[in-house]
Amino acid sequence: MTSLSSSLAIASQSLMAEQAEISVTNNNIANASTTGYSREQVELEESPNNGVDITGITSVQDELLNIQIQQQTSQQSSANAQVNALTQVEDLFPSTGTSLSSSLSTFFTSLTALSANPSNTASRETVISNAQTLVQQFNSISSGLTGPASALNTDVTTDVAQINQLSSEAASLNQQIVQQQSAGQPTATFTDQLNQLETQLAGLTNISITHTADGDTISTGNGTPLVLGSESYALQTNTDASGNTQVLDASGNNITTAITGGDLGGTIQVRDNDIPALQTSLDTLANQFATAFNSAQASGYDANGNPGAALFTVSSTVAGSAATISLTTTDPTAIAASSVAGSDASGSNGNVANLTAVQNAALPAGQSATGLASNLVYQVGSLTSTATAASSAASLSLTSLSNQQSSVSGVSIDQETANLLQYQQAYEAAAKVVSTISTLMTTLMNMIPSGS
Amino acid sequence: MRFVPNITTDVIANIQQSNQSVATALQQVSTGQRVNVPSDDPAAAAADLQLQAQSANIDQYTSNAESVLSQAQSADAVISSVVSLLNQAVTMGTEGANEVNNPSNRASIATDVQGILSSVVGLANTNYQGVSLFGGSATGQAFTADASSPTGYTYNGNNAINQVQVGSSVTVQANIPGNTVFDSPSGSVLGALSGLATALNTGTSAQIATATQAVTTALDYVSQQHTVYNSTVSQLTNQESFLAQDKVSISSNENALVGVDMATAEETLSQAEISNTATLTASAKVLQNSLLNYLPN
Repeated sequence: MTSLSSSLAIASQSLMAEQAEISVTNNNIANASTTGYSREQVELEESPNNGVDITGITSVQDELLNIQIQQQTSQQSSANAQVNALTQVEDLFPSTGTSLSSSLSTFFTSLTALSANPSNTASRETVISNAQTLVQQFNSISSGLTGPASALNTDVTTDVAQINQLSSEAASLNQQIVQQQSAGQPTATFTDQLNQLETQLAGLTNISITHTADGDTISTGNGTPLVLGSESYALQTNTDASGNTQVLDASGNNITTAITGGDLGGTIQVRDNDIPALQTSLDTLANQFATAFNSAQASGYDANGNPGAALFTVSSTVAGSAATISLTTTDPTAIAASSVAGSDASGSNGNVANLTAVQNAALPAGQSATGLASNLVYQVGSLTSTATAASSAASLSLTSLSNQQSSVSGVSIDQETANLLQYQQAYEAAAKVVSTISTLMTTLMNMIPSGS
Repeated sequence: MRFVPNITTDVIANIQQSNQSVATALQQVSTGQRVNVPSDDPAAAAADLQLQAQSANIDQYTSNAESVLSQAQSADAVISSVVSLLNQAVTMGTEGANEVNNPSNRASIATDVQGILSSVVGLANTNYQGVSLFGGSATGQAFTADASSPTGYTYNGNNAINQVQVGSSVTVQANIPGNTVFDSPSGSVLGALSGLATALNTGTSAQIATATQAVTTALDYVSQQHTVYNSTVSQLTNQESFLAQDKVSISSNENALVGVDMATAEETLSQAEISNTATLTASAKVLQNSLLNYLPN
């Protein structure tokens, strides 16, 4: 049995429903460009006694997409960190101008020039000055490789600090979500924020997330917990014997090698794998080249007819060879071009062929000096181009995932505007119902004779 | 699938990508290089460095060859002068051997022969840009006067023969030691000339004739040394043209490795520019679209 007052009740429900719709639409428009915001919608249903009930306000999102986006973010940040660091390293190996390869080549061509005129002092001085340039190239590339390594240590410290900050924020969000849930309040705002924090964390390190009744459990590396419910566990750093910053879990275990993704993972990859590999190649080249050249010197005689002495001072161990290689002398007569001992030595070029042969003869590493030098360039180029390719692949995939996410959760101003018109009309209609019922009520009241 | 409401990110990504293509194409056109940093093509960059080293070596081999060529030509010119001096000596010896000449005539011929001897020694001491042409590996004068020596001169050089590198595995002989040219057992120039001078001063006609014969033998021997230098010169000429060809082929290899085909690069650039313009125009249009523009106020 319907009555005017029940119609009035339905109309007032309708007004409330449209107000809720307008309020949610308003919030959607307000957050149209908020990062991590998922559009919300009002869930309505017809009430059992006619009229409309608001059953809740839900946030529209796709959990699977969120996970994929986090994974891709992790990969992209890692690749970007590698590209940034390796681009600096790549600058140490220019393909034009003075480079290690060009210095090596110039050194040997100046030796070849001695073949035509072994007694010429100017030619000998050119050899010494080119040897000096070559040694400087070794030294400066070696210190150039150490430079980024120390900057990368700073990055590790910064990343760990950020991870700890985000972890503690995530823990407090977990707590708020649990409280809201137990109070029966909407959690969408907090979930969006948590989701956003988790994506930021993924940009810093590799994470895995489990949803529990106490909120999200977040762990990194091989299962090192960062967030458990309302508790967060801060990572620590310390410096190892070689001066590299290591990452430790809350109980002090070294988890550096387990970090594989994100900015931290990429930084560690370059610092602990890529740069040491290049440094070893450079040291090997410096060591084996210097040793081979010194022994070629020993097979001849210098311009004064004395047995050829070593031209390069190089450490006996491979490690550190490039950083410490130096010339034993700047005396141009020290080049052992001659195969003749004694006073007639200066005009002989008999040993020049042995000296120049070092350029293309295989060193113990299996390749010639020229080969090793160009291989070094291949190594650095290949590392950089691989990281660049990984970065653009991750970036493409991330764009496509973001589009999908935007398609599910993004706010469309056009859609919200259209909805707003619809809700406005519905609200006006409900208000019309109220005013109509009011008029009917008045009419009804006026039917009762007054003063009786 | 619901439409993608926020296309701004997409539009920005497209613009960035398009700008990147233009920048890359422009760099390739302006440098003429496809590989500007090692990561553009690591294998090509590494191979190019090896070619650069080879190319630098070829330049040096060419310069060595040019320098040895002039050295060999000067030495050859010295040999020619020595040959003509020896011819004069033979003429003088033949004249001196003639019975008609009296001792004073012979003594004056002997002085002339002595003059030829010192001219020959002067030639044997020729320096080419600080290098003693006939001193072996010794620097300084190849022959100096020495009264105790039967020829009156002593050789200060050694037997060293310099083989100069003019290719990765090609060497040429750059010098002949002075004792081989001027004081060889098979025809000593200095010995024959000083023998002739002595014979003219003190000997009989028969002895002078014998001494003249010795000068002729030495003359023949020295003439043969021409062949050594001729062979060096022809080897060098061949090697120079080989090096020039090699240089061309290495340059073309380098270009194939890291260079760009200009026509293609310019085509790519203009395509990138057209596509960039299109992207920007489309972006400007699409970003303006909004329902709000069409609603009455």
